[in-house]
Amino acid sequence: MPRPRSPRRPFRGLAALPLALAPFALASHAAAGTFVGAPPSPAANVAAATPAPARTLEEYRRFRALSIDLVGRMPTRAEIQELERAGFDLDRWIDARLGERGVVDRLLRVYMDALRLEVSPAFTVTPQATTLRRVQLKGPGGAALFVYYRLNQRRAREATDGEFCLTKGESGLQVPAADRVPTGEPIEVTQKVLDANTVEVKPWWLYGDYRAGDPVLRYGDAWKTASARYQPLPALLNGPDGKPASAVRVCREEAQSGATGRLLLTGRKRAPGPPPFDRLRPLPLDDGYAVQHKAEPIACTSQAAHTLSSECGCGVGLERCLPSDANTADGRAFALPDSAPLGLDRPLNAGPQTLSAWRRFWWTQEAVRFLEDVLANDRDFRDVVTARRTFVNGPLAQFYQAPTSSTPPQTRRPFGLVDEGEPLFDPARLPKDLLVNDLDRWDRVEDRGPRAAGVLTMPVFLTKYASRRARGAAVYQAFLCKSFLAAGVELTPSDEPDLTKRAGCSTCHATLEPLAAYFARVPETDWSFLPPASFPVDSPLCKKNAQGKAAGFCAPFYDPAFSDDAHGTLRGAYAARAHVDEGPAGAGAELAASPDFATCAVERVSSAFLGRALTSDDAALATSLRETFVASGYRMRALVRALVKSPRYLDASPWSSTLLRSERGATAGGGAR
Amino acid sequence: MSAPETKRDARARRTSPLLLLAIAAGAALLASGASSCGARPPELVAPTAAPAIAPRASIAQDSAPKEEPRLVPAEAWLRTYLQLFGGLAPLDAQARLRGADGAQIFDDWATYASAIGLPDHRFDLPRGTQTNATMLATFERLGEALCARAVEHDLQGPKGGTPPGPPPLEARVIFAFEAPSPGTKLERASFEPRFDVLHRTFLGYPASLAPTDRTGRFLSLYQDVVARHAAKDAPKSRFTPEQAGWSAVCEGLIRHPEFQLY
Repeated sequence: MPRPRSPRRPFRGLAALPLALAPFALASHAAAGTFVGAPPSPAANVAAATPAPARTLEEYRRFRALSIDLVGRMPTRAEIQELERAGFDLDRWIDARLGERGVVDRLLRVYMDALRLEVSPAFTVTPQATTLRRVQLKGPGGAALFVYYRLNQRRAREATDGEFCLTKGESGLQVPAADRVPTGEPIEVTQKVLDANTVEVKPWWLYGDYRAGDPVLRYGDAWKTASARYQPLPALLNGPDGKPASAVRVCREEAQSGATGRLLLTGRKRAPGPPPFDRLRPLPLDDGYAVQHKAEPIACTSQAAHTLSSECGCGVGLERCLPSDANTADGRAFALPDSAPLGLDRPLNAGPQTLSAWRRFWWTQEAVRFLEDVLANDRDFRDVVTARRTFVNGPLAQFYQAPTSSTPPQTRRPFGLVDEGEPLFDPARLPKDLLVNDLDRWDRVEDRGPRAAGVLTMPVFLTKYASRRARGAAVYQAFLCKSFLAAGVELTPSDEPDLTKRAGCSTCHATLEPLAAYFARVPETDWSFLPPASFPVDSPLCKKNAQGKAAGFCAPFYDPAFSDDAHGTLRGAYAARAHVDEGPAGAGAELAASPDFATCAVERVSSAFLGRALTSDDAALATSLRETFVASGYRMRALVRALVKSPRYLDASPWSSTLLRSERGATAGGGAR
Repeated sequence: MSAPETKRDARARRTSPLLLLAIAAGAALLASGASSCGARPPELVAPTAAPAIAPRASIAQDSAPKEEPRLVPAEAWLRTYLQLFGGLAPLDAQARLRGADGAQIFDDWATYASAIGLPDHRFDLPRGTQTNATMLATFERLGEALCARAVEHDLQGPKGGTPPGPPPLEARVIFAFEAPSPGTKLERASFEPRFDVLHRTFLGYPASLAPTDRTGRFLSLYQDVVARHAAKDAPKSRFTPEQAGWSAVCEGLIRHPEFQLY
């Protein structure tokens, strides 16, 4: 039986408090001498005689549930007093909350839980072109000295071409290409050798104004506006003696800042015998691409530029590169939070992280910013899979301005490409004045390029779901709420390569393969796009020869199972050739056009708020919510408003049944409940 | 070696063919009877109205949804916890919770993150949507830490604070009431308004609306703890008996199922 409702009475004793208490703006109030921060509401802390309840138990509990779902935490005493105030209007309260951060956070959680857009630490992102390794030398006078360099950097000096910029004769060290410490006994490098081959740079990680002619705003000193989240490790800030460094020494080629460089041609031939100059590796030969394009300049942002030209470096203040604290590709550089469920401003921890972790972290933040924008501004939710816009801060701009790929650029040379080809994010669209070390400035990029499609073309999605099929399955589940479940059919031996036809496989793959085909131009574990001009679906270049074999360079891209003596077929394309050139944007369009898209959004949000999966009993509610959602133009705010005002949500309190019974049962057993 | 045949065995061996013949004849008879039954039309039993069942008692139908309570999302739980702690950022709160006791009262958030149900998408660890033993133990430990530090702040006053002693009511975070003087035996009338403050703080509604006599039971808890701490053989504590009593009440509420669920 419902409790009789108490007559509402005027709020007594305390001034009405605004409920928009900015729950997420609770700043740190750790004032010296106090144990905790500011209390939730001083005015509400006065304990007088116990007042009579102004609301029914159900009303209090509804309010608590609404606060948890819409504000993101339980109500404070002050907010409960506001509820008890005469004239309190719950509808208005709900409407006010819908525009606040709490709802955005709640919905963001729903979709981050569905997409899980954080990449495993096992996935390393260490492109040679943008990673600076570090070697410790014995400098002039015997003092230790750090010198930064890039692996495989071409140099005009033959002795060090493709290797570290000082020879063993000059430094006493041989610097291996693998992630190992240099070998040999360091000898004192003369100032003349040092100046001839290295240069001092004031890099972006030390100076807030690194693009200035003579940077002066050093981190921890004059640079007062550095983000609180920007935390370079001491290993980057100090020299080998532990004292703060005012500049870093870099190999001369890496320090260059030109936009383009000439291709390096040496005319060398393969020489027999051990490598000269006490090198660990033979002298590099001329690259086939360089020979063919010798008259052309190469863009220094190209992934292959440092292996083709001695005139391409890391840019002004080394802004195109990330520094490692050792002679490894994935050293540590910055402190980052491992976990920040309440947002970047309120991490649960922070510690030294690798370069890969730095990149992965900001990939995730890009997706978070993008989703937050859709939710906070109540945009058409289909934008999540179709929009070309995104948001970038300094680290993301750095990543996107020098397009890279997880596959070596040499693999694409036979197809006429010098590097990764056509990026999914056109670097020309990046804001020009965004500094690499600006973590807090998030610029909206309205159009990433014609291939962009919401989260589907973000590196975090493409590497989290590294294979074409994984990507297809992920969007099928996240946005259509469907799963691939194998039918109860007998698996028989088969040599049918077409999984849409093979018995036992076709029940899932007839749907999955066409979805996966949208991602056929984004190679596995990669975030670059294979342009149709270089990689046609059917390529004569990769046809099978008389022995039934295709050229070796075709294997990463063309599938021999679907190739013949006339052409090779692009991997992942066989089931839906039309989808291949549409790319991920085609997948986004198909998802957005599906009637299941809205149904799935309703299901995800409703089940999150109700705390259970929807059942057939909820069919009427689901239908009604879907109509509301679609009629609103796929706006989440309308969906949430309709949901939290529905009787199904408002009466979802279970306390009057199971738990209440257990409480009553507990009375006999004692204990403070 | 076989046993010699007895007369009885020999008689049985002689009569068995006759017995078999009789069984066969009986089976044939039964079979013919069955076939003649199958040929008969089925008997129809006319429906009859069920007699009315006389009501013996009348109770209201319970039409409340029979759903399991929802677990408060880990982020909402964490945000509430921090808000109860005065709105500090997690790392600031962690420093205060650890205080001078190191990990004796509180380890660190990273240790508790997955235990309280936070997902870790890097490792595809999903969100905890149901309680488990580790989660409850973690809630308990975190609750104890908060209540202990709140007693220190609200009822003892920060060390070196000026003036010394508990802060004014408006600066208290959890125990926003005047504690009784040491040695005062707290009866229900004076316990009730103080408990109501805590009940509203943690469970979001007046204690008088609780489905059970929660005030009475927590009063018993308070009195038991105070008595134990006041006993001559009680172990040393950094809390007075009354402070220990309020800490126990706070712990009882923050680990209450109604706090974790909604």
